[in-house]
Amino acid sequence: MAASPDDAATNASADGEPARYLHMPPERRALAKAHAAMLAQTADRIAAALPIGADVDDFRRVLAAEAKP
Amino acid sequence: MTDLAQLSARALARAIRDKKVSSVEATQEAIDRLRACHELTNCIITLEADDALAAARSVDAAIAAGTAAGPLAGVPLAHKDMFDRKGKIASWGAKIRADKPAAADATVIARCRSAGALQIAALHLTEFAYGPTGHNYVLGHARNPWDPTRITGGSSGGTAAAVAYGAIPAGLGSDTGGSLRLPAACCGVTSIKPTWGRISRAGAMPLSPQLDTVGFIARHVEDLALMLGIAAGPDPRDPSAAALPVPDYVARLEEPVRGLRVGVDAKVVGEAHPDVQRMIEDVLAVLGRLGLERSPCAFPDWQTLDHLVQLVQLPDASAAHGAYLRARPDDYGPQVRSRVEVGHFIPAVDHLTALRARGTYLQRTLDDTFKSIDIAILPNLADPLPTIAELDVGGGPKVQAAMGRVVKYTRPINYLGLPTLTLPIPRRGGLPNGIQLIGQPFAEAQLLAIGQAYQREVPPEIARPL
Repeated sequence: MAASPDDAATNASADGEPARYLHMPPERRALAKAHAAMLAQTADRIAAALPIGADVDDFRRVLAAEAKP
Repeated sequence: MTDLAQLSARALARAIRDKKVSSVEATQEAIDRLRACHELTNCIITLEADDALAAARSVDAAIAAGTAAGPLAGVPLAHKDMFDRKGKIASWGAKIRADKPAAADATVIARCRSAGALQIAALHLTEFAYGPTGHNYVLGHARNPWDPTRITGGSSGGTAAAVAYGAIPAGLGSDTGGSLRLPAACCGVTSIKPTWGRISRAGAMPLSPQLDTVGFIARHVEDLALMLGIAAGPDPRDPSAAALPVPDYVARLEEPVRGLRVGVDAKVVGEAHPDVQRMIEDVLAVLGRLGLERSPCAFPDWQTLDHLVQLVQLPDASAAHGAYLRARPDDYGPQVRSRVEVGHFIPAVDHLTALRARGTYLQRTLDDTFKSIDIAILPNLADPLPTIAELDVGGGPKVQAAMGRVVKYTRPINYLGLPTLTLPIPRRGGLPNGIQLIGQPFAEAQLLAIGQAYQREVPPEIARPL
């Protein structure tokens, strides 16, 4: 069943629960949240050591700079 | 000419060009063999026999007139059904499809066509190319031609099955977390996952554009070299396609490999099943006979890399599926639906952290891991070839762990964007499996030269000989 944009806006802001616009049974929602929380621990650790100048374009720059064709 | 199934695409093109066999004969045989393969493996989504035979007749006429051009003129191929073809709607392995035919060919399809290749079929893939095993809960699972109770690997399982069976010499696939490497390993054939950006993604169905990589599966490494040279290069339709010159990969196949250093991360490899560790040793023994030197190396913390790639992939895929998941959630199979949902729970700041750290991790890998080596070796699968039943977890609570184990050795490499060549193990009568050789950015020519030498020791095999 499709959710309307109004439903999505209401669901997203009602109680802070993420992705309320997705029709998920509680157990699958809990598993998804647990997986995201596990990954968030790694993101937190990496973010704490990442300099402010780190940029999403660094990856492409390094690939090109280190090219060994 | 009685055994076309054994030939490489390059050799078959030569035979057609020299009129030792016609393109019509080669194409008809490929169609017949692909039909038989489909009965065993469920590899076909759409068979396009009439169109392919008509194209083959045109090639034969052009050859007779001395006007046929292209290094693959008249060679029958088939590809994963996720690439745009003008006037057609790709299945994406899904119930949900584009609402109108493609306006133009995907760049890789156009380049294969310009090289003279024919396409005889569109082949099986995991739903939306989002799954590493070949399970497809919408169109039916793919089955391995060596043992139909076993997985083909995914998501490019149809291409790998058809190549392994000898129906086609090569075909296109894609790789976001292992989708070229795992099917090649499971089906005992080779694949090249090029450096991210080496081949244009224009017209390829997106899964996670930050990671998606188009590449090839083939029995012969020389075909990987030929087809990579045809497909690679800049493309105004894809700004991420690298502007670097494309080497003559075929000419460089015979470059010496003696003295090259192959790195082994004992800690990471040690997390594989003991049988898989023995497979790595078997391949290292072959590489040693070729003159490569074994050397220790250490990747950055492997679990951290695996988490970082998920922080990129999961929201990326969820965003790509934003419209369909909201409008047609019940048209997804259970496994892909559950995986596409997860990305919605990852904060944007975590996704961006993983993207911002990517250059740092790549530089660290090149400076440290590759400091004293030329290539690294890793398993593809952590375990011996699983059965379809063992990994039939649907969208249930085991899906993340089960899929995570399958892509344990492949997914982190997508985060680094490095080129990877998959080679089959020396099988000795057992089930197939494969290893991956990881190179430095855009060093595909070196990997392919190693693969070419390797196949002199471990020749290509066909799963179902005539």
